[in-house]
Amino acid sequence: MDMAIHFEAVDFTYQADSPFATAALHDVNFTIPEHQFTAVIGHTGSGKSTMVQLLEGLLVPTKGVITVGDRQITPKTKKKELNQLRKHIGMVFQFPEAQLFEQTVLKDVMFGPKNFGQSDTEAQALAQQALRTVGMGPEFDQHSPFELSGGQMRRVAIAGVLAMQPEMLILDEPTAGLDPVGQAELMQLFARLQAEGNLTLVLITHQMDFVGQYADHVLVFDQGTVIKEGSPESIFADSDWLRNHQLDLPIAKQFADALAAKGMDLDHVLDLDQLTAQLARALKGGPHE
Amino acid sequence: MNELIIGRYLPGNSWVHRLDPRTKFVLSLIFIFAIFLATNVWGYLLATIFTLLAVALTGLGFRVFLRGLRPLLLLMLITTVLQLFFVQTGTVLWHWWIFTITTDGLLSTGIMFMRFVLIIMFSTILTLTTPPLAIADAMESLMAPLAKIGVPVGELALMVSIALRFVPTLMDEATTIMNAQRARGMNFNEGNLIQRAKSYIPLLIPLFINAIKRAIELGDAMEARGYRGGDNRTKYRQLQAGPRDYIAYLAFALFVLLLLGTHWLPGMVF
Repeated sequence: MDMAIHFEAVDFTYQADSPFATAALHDVNFTIPEHQFTAVIGHTGSGKSTMVQLLEGLLVPTKGVITVGDRQITPKTKKKELNQLRKHIGMVFQFPEAQLFEQTVLKDVMFGPKNFGQSDTEAQALAQQALRTVGMGPEFDQHSPFELSGGQMRRVAIAGVLAMQPEMLILDEPTAGLDPVGQAELMQLFARLQAEGNLTLVLITHQMDFVGQYADHVLVFDQGTVIKEGSPESIFADSDWLRNHQLDLPIAKQFADALAAKGMDLDHVLDLDQLTAQLARALKGGPHE
Repeated sequence: MNELIIGRYLPGNSWVHRLDPRTKFVLSLIFIFAIFLATNVWGYLLATIFTLLAVALTGLGFRVFLRGLRPLLLLMLITTVLQLFFVQTGTVLWHWWIFTITTDGLLSTGIMFMRFVLIIMFSTILTLTTPPLAIADAMESLMAPLAKIGVPVGELALMVSIALRFVPTLMDEATTIMNAQRARGMNFNEGNLIQRAKSYIPLLIPLFINAIKRAIELGDAMEARGYRGGDNRTKYRQLQAGPRDYIAYLAFALFVLLLLGTHWLPGMVF
């Protein structure tokens, strides 16, 4: 299934036609290219999470058209059809460990595949494979998910989504609340999954370092709409514009900008590896390109 | 989940909003009892007009209240339909196997339904126009005399206000968990009754676990800040009844008197 996504003039209002109506998105237009790593940035309340729920078919737009591959979601789309969509899209919510409920880790991860019609044996094989992918060894299979540490629970919850073998993976701040090492490990895992499985991956995050390091494509949300879309280079090129929208730069880019202010120009610096490589070259005394 | 009106507070500055929460609480209780004084068409007509008047005074619009009735409609229908088949006196209108519908059954069903609608609407006035914490304050203030006979009034009020405070939080959490399970292919509204009931396990277990965790954290946080219940705690916001409240009490007294008066009006007596 083709998994490119287009939003065309999408509006969404929570509880439309009621005293509680709140507009969350207005005139949203963007494209999420397939088989790429797309990062979605924007400060809290800018509409990122609402957009993701529309993507996943948990909400239906109030206006406009969303195209997911060859399917269209319009305000008239029936809820039943949306369930089919979810088979192809895996969604990891914020603090996904809140979705754990089964008696054992293995059973919990089997929940998704079984719901989508896999037999017990198939589901078990998929679950075990997913658990190993996220680094949970077989010794944990029969544990209760509630005996695990926070980081391990997070991994099990993510395995629960991966076990459905989605072609597209949506991650809503998957590293929130983890220690820095845990965060970096998880991000490496996602990048590896994306590259190896040729997945379409959408990451919502506040951490610009990860965006600079991994993203192919970036969407910037502000006040319920997409205000900029492009490669990380183009998004991070204008640091003043980003600060005006209360967004940060990756640390490597900040450092490079500070160097540029002192007259040392480096180009294409989005993560620490690129920065150190270029600095090393420059400091050896050779002319940098 | 968000469509539930029961227990929601809609901010406003209407006449009803500005009433002392104790007044609203007491009057709502009185209304629930007073409605049983209505014994004929005139009584129900009066009660309906009175309710609609009170609704109009909230300035919130009638539709909000109708929406408030919707989630309870099924419950109301089941209860009233039972009434329909259990009351067997009066002229028989329809009979099949063990089911009989009589004129009395039909009448008492209608009355019961009306009672439900009016009581729910009136309690909705209280919850829509009063912040939950003000309701808890009102209860504490009203129960204050019970403290003398050893009822832990302060603790009870605290429990009520914490419970009310966490209703929206738990609702949000339930929505999030439901979304997460739906994303894992769960269908909450498919299959037979048993399958449906079962489908709520993946929602309820995480919800309970989170609620317990939250309760422990809240308890720790309160103790860490030196909270102790009872012991002559003072309030930042003092409740104060004013002329508006006396007018409301008067209006209610008049309503109850008129309701009693409807007994002497001609018309079918239920």
